[in-house]
Amino acid sequence: MSDRFTAQLSAYIDGELDDLSLARLESHLAECLDCTRTVAELRAIVAAAPDYRGREPSRDLWNDIERRLDEPEVVPINPSRPPMQPSRHRFGWRELIAASIVMAAVGGGAVWVALDGTVREVPTAAAPAPITAEQQNVEFADREYDAAIQDLELLLARGQNRLDSATIRTIEQSLSKIDEAITEARAAVQRDPANAYLSRQIAANMRRKLNLLRVATQAIAART
Amino acid sequence: MTQADLDRDDVQLASAGDHDAFERLYRRHVARVTSLARWLLDAGEADDAVQEVFIRVWQKLHTFAGQSAFGTWLHRVAVNLLLRRRQSLGSSRRRQVNDEVQMLAAAGASERPDLRVAIERAVDLLPAGAREVFVLHDMEGYKHDEIAEMLAVDPGTSRSQLHRARLLLRQQLAT
Repeated sequence: MSDRFTAQLSAYIDGELDDLSLARLESHLAECLDCTRTVAELRAIVAAAPDYRGREPSRDLWNDIERRLDEPEVVPINPSRPPMQPSRHRFGWRELIAASIVMAAVGGGAVWVALDGTVREVPTAAAPAPITAEQQNVEFADREYDAAIQDLELLLARGQNRLDSATIRTIEQSLSKIDEAITEARAAVQRDPANAYLSRQIAANMRRKLNLLRVATQAIAART
Repeated sequence: MTQADLDRDDVQLASAGDHDAFERLYRRHVARVTSLARWLLDAGEADDAVQEVFIRVWQKLHTFAGQSAFGTWLHRVAVNLLLRRRQSLGSSRRRQVNDEVQMLAAAGASERPDLRVAIERAVDLLPAGAREVFVLHDMEGYKHDEIAEMLAVDPGTSRSQLHRARLLLRQQLAT
């Protein structure tokens, strides 16, 4: 038995040797009983391996599975979508507050009023079939949320200087924590796109952010 | 009727929402999926992962076009999900061979079970890298290029791990 040839036996069995190596190995096999026996034993393993029978789980899982069959499916964030890149423009809290007006409109209907009073239609995705609330949340997280923020970059300059500095600081800190949680969850989803829990976490944090922005918007409105 | 025929009928029924048909599919395939989960994940993760696999299969059943056997398709879904799950668990939770499994394998060897059963037990004892490649290549039929992509290794590493696994199995089965 030769180490040099032994190393080639799997490639030989799988038909991956080039002509020269194949000729040399077959010549060796013609006179090496050990290698010939090894080839036969490896072939037997390779032949039997796909027919493994498997082993039952440690307990019957069917009841647990059946209970979850008709739960609404959470659509994972599209793994092929490139990770969000930080915008060149850093949004301030005032811009985000203004964004909340749009997002509140997205959540509540198809029309919103911009700060300049212009009535605009919020684009809505064509939905051929009813989708669940969770699907809406995740789809919203993936498309509408980012689009709404970016659309408002052009609109947000008004309504400033209406809150005191302590309130501003509180809002900024809260937004920062929520953004951090969203970023972490997005990164985790990139690694594990099928993980429904992570998708729910993103949707939940989106809702938190939206609620916070709504509260901030109401505070500005109260001081106008 | 062959298993493939039974599967085809039950897939059709299950796609229309028939839980009983899906349970039959589950019962026919759960053992192999469970073994896959044990080989590719920590044994403690297997049951939970198997549940996830079958729920995922139920959700994706309408996408099964029937061009391959249901079992083949199921295993593709399972392998993808198990590897993603393993990736999300991180390297610190990679499967370790435990004493119980070693004892089981030793007991099995002394009973001289048939080769298929002996291989299954011996696979438990393989080092993680060799085991994963052996399971994916020889048991599940993936090519080295596919395995390299799935495990984020070089195709040459996949080949050498496969050869190592086969030699270790041969050694294990000879004892």
